[in-house]
Amino acid sequence: MAILEVQWVEAAAYVGAALCMGFGAIGAALGEGYAAGRAAQAIAKDSELSGPILKNMLIGQAVAESAGIFALVIAMLMLFVNAEGATLVQGFAYLGSGLAMGLGAVGSGLGSGFPAAEASEGLASNPSTAGSLTTNMLIGAAICQTPAIFAMVVAFMLMFTDYSSMALWPTWAALLGAGLSVGLAAIGSGVGSGMPAGSSTLGISRQPAAASQIRTNMLIGSAVSQTPAIFGMVVAFMLMFVDFSDRAAWPTWAALLGAGLSTGLSAIGPGIGNGFTAWEASAGVARVPEASGPITTTMLIGQTVAQSTVIYGFLVSLILLFIPLEASTNIVDWTIPLSAGICMGFGGIGPGIGEGIAAAYAVNRIARDAEQRVLLTRVMLVGQAVAESTGIYSLIVSLLLLFVV
Amino acid sequence: MGELTNIPQWTWEVAGYRLVFNSETLIMSWVVMGALIVFGVLSTRKLSFIPGTAQTLGEVMVTAFEGLVNDALDERNRKYFPLVISVFMFVWLSNILGIFPGLSEPTKDLNTTLGFGILGFIIAHYAGIRTKGFKKYALEYVQPMFFMAPLNIIGELSKVVSISFRLYGNIMGGFIIIMVVSDLVYSLVLPPFLNAFFGLFVGTIQAFVFTMLTLVYISVQTK
Repeated sequence: MAILEVQWVEAAAYVGAALCMGFGAIGAALGEGYAAGRAAQAIAKDSELSGPILKNMLIGQAVAESAGIFALVIAMLMLFVNAEGATLVQGFAYLGSGLAMGLGAVGSGLGSGFPAAEASEGLASNPSTAGSLTTNMLIGAAICQTPAIFAMVVAFMLMFTDYSSMALWPTWAALLGAGLSVGLAAIGSGVGSGMPAGSSTLGISRQPAAASQIRTNMLIGSAVSQTPAIFGMVVAFMLMFVDFSDRAAWPTWAALLGAGLSTGLSAIGPGIGNGFTAWEASAGVARVPEASGPITTTMLIGQTVAQSTVIYGFLVSLILLFIPLEASTNIVDWTIPLSAGICMGFGGIGPGIGEGIAAAYAVNRIARDAEQRVLLTRVMLVGQAVAESTGIYSLIVSLLLLFVV
Repeated sequence: MGELTNIPQWTWEVAGYRLVFNSETLIMSWVVMGALIVFGVLSTRKLSFIPGTAQTLGEVMVTAFEGLVNDALDERNRKYFPLVISVFMFVWLSNILGIFPGLSEPTKDLNTTLGFGILGFIIAHYAGIRTKGFKKYALEYVQPMFFMAPLNIIGELSKVVSISFRLYGNIMGGFIIIMVVSDLVYSLVLPPFLNAFFGLFVGTIQAFVFTMLTLVYISVQTK
C-alpha cells in the first residue's frame, strides 16, 4: 500500500509535536524540582518562615514552568496543523520546528529554577528583603527564558511558512539544521543566564542596599551569556531565508546540516561557561558593591574570551553555508562537510565551559581584592588560552576537512 | 478544538491593500480600555482624605509601583511612572480577562503583545537618547569592541521579540491548557481551578514580569 505524501507530512507533524513536548518537558521539571528542594532546605532552617518561602517557591516555579508551556503551545498547534496540499519538505519543517522548541526549552527551564531556588535561601536568611528578592527573581527568571523564546520564534516561522513549493533537496537539511541550530544553542545560554539570576537573588538578600547595582550586573551578565544563543538564531535565520536552490543538492544538504550542528553544539559550552563567570560576578558585586567596576570589566573580558569557540563554530557554519561545493553524490564528498560541522560543534563545548570556570575564579578573587586585578587578569587570560587549545584543534581539523582533504 | 486555529477576522480593502483585523482581539482590547477608563474615573472622581473603595484600590497600586519605579529610575526619568503603571494595568486586566465567561484575553494574540513590546522599546531608546545625548548612546553599540556592533544591535532587537513572545506564549499556553482539559473532562470540576491558576496566578505574574522588564529596559538605557 502506497503512503500518500500528505500522510508523510502529517506523520512528521506528529513526530515533531512529540519531540517538542518530550524534550521540552525536561528542563522546566528539573528547574522546578531544584527550586522545591532548596525551598524545603530553607524551611528546615527556619520553619516559622514556611509561609513566605512556600509562596515565593510557587511564584518562582510558575515562571520556570513557562519554558514547558512554550513547548506545549508549539506541540498543540502542530497537532492541529493543516497538512492539505503540503509536500514532503513541509514535514521536515515540522520536524525542525519541534526540535527547535523542544531542545530550546531544556536550558531555560533548568536555568529559571536557579533564581527560584536561591530566593528561598535568601528569604530564610533575611526575610525583610522579601519584596526586592521576589522582584529580582522574577526579572532574572524571565530574562533567562529569552533563549527558549528565540527557539519559539524559529519554531513558529518553520511551522507557519509554506515551504511546499521548495525543492526537497537540499531544503529539508536547511530546515532541520535551522531547528537544531537554535534549539541546541539555547540549551547553554538558558542554563548560563539562569546562574547570574540565581546568585544576584541571593546577593540582594545579603546586601539589600546595593540591589540596583547587583541587578545591573546580573542583567549585563545574562545578556552576554545569551550571545551564543543569538549566534544560533542568526544561523537558523540564514538557513531558512538564504536561497540554496542554485547549488548542487548533493553534497550541499550535508553542508547545511553541518552548519546547523556546528553553531548549535559549539554554543552550548560558551553559554554555560559565561553563566559560571556571571554567577561569580553577581556574587562579587553583592559582597563588595564598591568594586562593581573592576568586577564587571573582568567578567566581560573573561566572557568574551570564553565565547571564542562559538565564534569558531559560527565561522565554520558561514564557510559551510556560503562556499559552494561541487556536485557529487559520492559518500566521501558529503561526509566531509557534515564531519567538519560535527567536529567544530562538539569541539566547542568543552573549552567554552572550561574558560568560563577559569574566568569565574578570577572574578571571585578580584571581588575580594581588587588591587590584584592586573595580575589575576593576566593569569586568567593565559589559562584560558591554554584551555582553548582543544577548541583550536577542532577548528584546524574542520578547516583541513573543508579545504585540504 | 477548532477554536485553536479559527481566528475571527474583519477584512477591509483599502486602495488595493487588504487590511485584516482580528475582531476578537480588537473588541476585547476595547473592553479592557473601557474598564480601565471607568476605574480611572471612579477612583479619582471624589478624591477624599478618607478614601472610598475605588480610591483605595488606586492608591494601593500607585504606592506599590512608585517604590519600584523610584528604585529603578533616577530623578529625571520618574516621569515614566504613569506609563509603567498603565502598562501594568492594561496587561494585567488583559491577562485575567479570560476567566470571565464570554470574554477572552487580548494578550493571547501576538499582535497585542508585540505592540506593547515595540512601544516599550521605542520609549526606552528615546529616554536613553534624551538622558545621555545621541553620541554617548550610539557609542554604547561599539562596546566592548567595534566588531560587536551587529551583535549589540541584534541583542537590542531581540529584547522586543523576547518580551512580547514571553507574554504571548504564557497566555496562549494557559488558554490552550484550559481549553483542552475542559474538553477532556466535559467542563466538569477542573476548569475553575485551571482558570484560577493560569488566569489569575500566571496572568498576574506575567503582567508584573512584563511591566518590570519594560521598566528595566528604560532603566538600563538611562544609566
